[in-house]
Amino acid sequence: MRARIIDRADVLKLVDVLRQDHEVIAPFCGRGRDTYFDTVTEENRERVQIHLPNPYYPPKRYVLPHIEGLFRMRRSSGGVQIEPTYDGRRRAIFGIRSCDLAGIYHLDRFYLGRDFRDVYYERRRRNLFLVNVVCTDPELDIDDGCFCVCTDTGPAARAHFDLQLMDLGEVFLAVAGTPQGEALFANPLFKKGAPAHLARRREILEKVRRQFKTTTSWFSAAVRYVSLGKVAEQTWEAIGNRCLECGGCTYVCPACTCFTVSDRKVGPDEFERVRLWDSCALYGFTRMAGGFNPRRAVHDRRNRRFFRKLSHYFIQRELSMACVGCGRCEEVCHGHVGMPTVVEMIRRASAQQETNERAAH
Amino acid sequence: MNAPPTENIYLPKAAVLDRVVDEIPEVKTFFWHFVDPVEQQGFQRFRPGQFAQVSLLGVGEFPASLPPSPTETEVFFTIRLVGSATLALHQLKPGDQFGVRGPYGNGFPMAAYYGRNLVFVAGGIGLIPLRSCIVYALKHRDKYGRIQVFYGARRPRELLYLASLRQWEQPGGLECHLAVDRGEDGWKGHVGVVGSLFRKPGVQVPVADTTAFVCGPPVMFRFVIKDLLAMGFEDQNIVSTLERYMKCGVGKCGHCCIGVAYVCVDGPVFTYAQIKKLGEDI
Repeated sequence: MRARIIDRADVLKLVDVLRQDHEVIAPFCGRGRDTYFDTVTEENRERVQIHLPNPYYPPKRYVLPHIEGLFRMRRSSGGVQIEPTYDGRRRAIFGIRSCDLAGIYHLDRFYLGRDFRDVYYERRRRNLFLVNVVCTDPELDIDDGCFCVCTDTGPAARAHFDLQLMDLGEVFLAVAGTPQGEALFANPLFKKGAPAHLARRREILEKVRRQFKTTTSWFSAAVRYVSLGKVAEQTWEAIGNRCLECGGCTYVCPACTCFTVSDRKVGPDEFERVRLWDSCALYGFTRMAGGFNPRRAVHDRRNRRFFRKLSHYFIQRELSMACVGCGRCEEVCHGHVGMPTVVEMIRRASAQQETNERAAH
Repeated sequence: MNAPPTENIYLPKAAVLDRVVDEIPEVKTFFWHFVDPVEQQGFQRFRPGQFAQVSLLGVGEFPASLPPSPTETEVFFTIRLVGSATLALHQLKPGDQFGVRGPYGNGFPMAAYYGRNLVFVAGGIGLIPLRSCIVYALKHRDKYGRIQVFYGARRPRELLYLASLRQWEQPGGLECHLAVDRGEDGWKGHVGVVGSLFRKPGVQVPVADTTAFVCGPPVMFRFVIKDLLAMGFEDQNIVSTLERYMKCGVGKCGHCCIGVAYVCVDGPVFTYAQIKKLGEDI
């Protein structure tokens, strides 16, 4: 393992090192439970947090902004001029959690895979440096809804980061995931580690894994029932009945990909085409011009979201699952139909049905 | 359709409107060409059944079937006025510019139907995507067996491409059977839903070695499928082209996803066997 150690007192100095040639994004504490990612400036650099509850608004927006300009269209004599607007800024996210890292990996698979590559995503992603912080503090880092141990995405990511930091107490263990990450080790802040540090890492992870509150989200069962079409209509209806159609689950999801496109006026005879995050929970998501809507009932739309995330077909199509176990949907859902709950509802209802069917034979 | 990795898949290419032809109420045909002749050449290789994204400056973008056959020299869209973007297109004058990108989607595998009879069943503006296939098949007439068109609309004046249908309907061409729901305007032909044409005296629909193409509103689709299955058609020999709300056309925006398929990249052409397996109503 390409690893070094760094003194506890020196960890935040890394932010300054990265700021030399990146816009650095880091997590901060707001009021109460509120936490958020923001750009590090001279004013707020002292307040960057290492251990804190993962912000609800996912760092996904640095590769897929909530509202993103695609191109500008200007009417000129005899024609229309179209000019794409790209964002090529170099960014670093300091303190991204393992679940969100898996989310970005999923977006990579989705936006850069298959026949068409998304150039907007690609440019942002290419210029992004990721510093992962392992969740080790059961009080601060791990929320009630966190279930990355069930999706196998955390608490310590195995890949997809440039640099990974893990709190060992007096020192942090730094692991490089890419050559760019390893290049940072030339900085004197990093010191050679000892085998004892790796042993300490294993020991801490072993302990942390057992401190998750949600550890029984039986994904394999849910994936099996959903993929085989064994989930009864009543189960989807029960889930749909609890959905308030706010779209919150999709907006906080680090692995949701859907967007809508809209034109807006930016000047006299000049327009900008923007894309915005969209949500399959909303009624208008599938409504066609003329008013026909193939997906009318709310449970159809809930079915859609969970089918998209849990069916084996899509997992195989992207070689990655569209749920990373961050638990945000569970935290924000007023109807209490976040992913772990839905997995449990599907498993319980479908297993019961299977038992009944077997008894009937 | 493998776009080069550096290409911006969302950028429309400038196109010029050449002329507009009134078809039926609220439906017009727009003949156009790309400003860049290289774009035009590349685009012209589309397959019947594919679609394109049409962009109107400051209004938005919508997916539109390609009614022309690649064997024809001109490209055009036939568009019904349904919303703000189609309204903006309807208001354009010849010489005005708009944007087009595509072609997208899988299209009909026309070579796979060589040697077979083709039965086209369309309702209303469902004839638009099938027109491409029909013209293509007539151009390669010796490759196909019998060609039949069953076409229905609500009123006689809502029958689309009527002049073309009459022109194609000739010995060695195709057989065309028309139906309307309401016989107005001195209509002398058949009155009833399109499926009732199958049972009209004198009509004989081949089933063996035959592929049926179905396109129309969902209600018509359900009933025609029922009729075809009753006549002995197998699921994989019934093909349709689906329509969905789409924003990107390239499998990214997520709007057109039905069950396990993205209509824009996995479709819009599906066999009925595939449609049944999508896992969602269409």
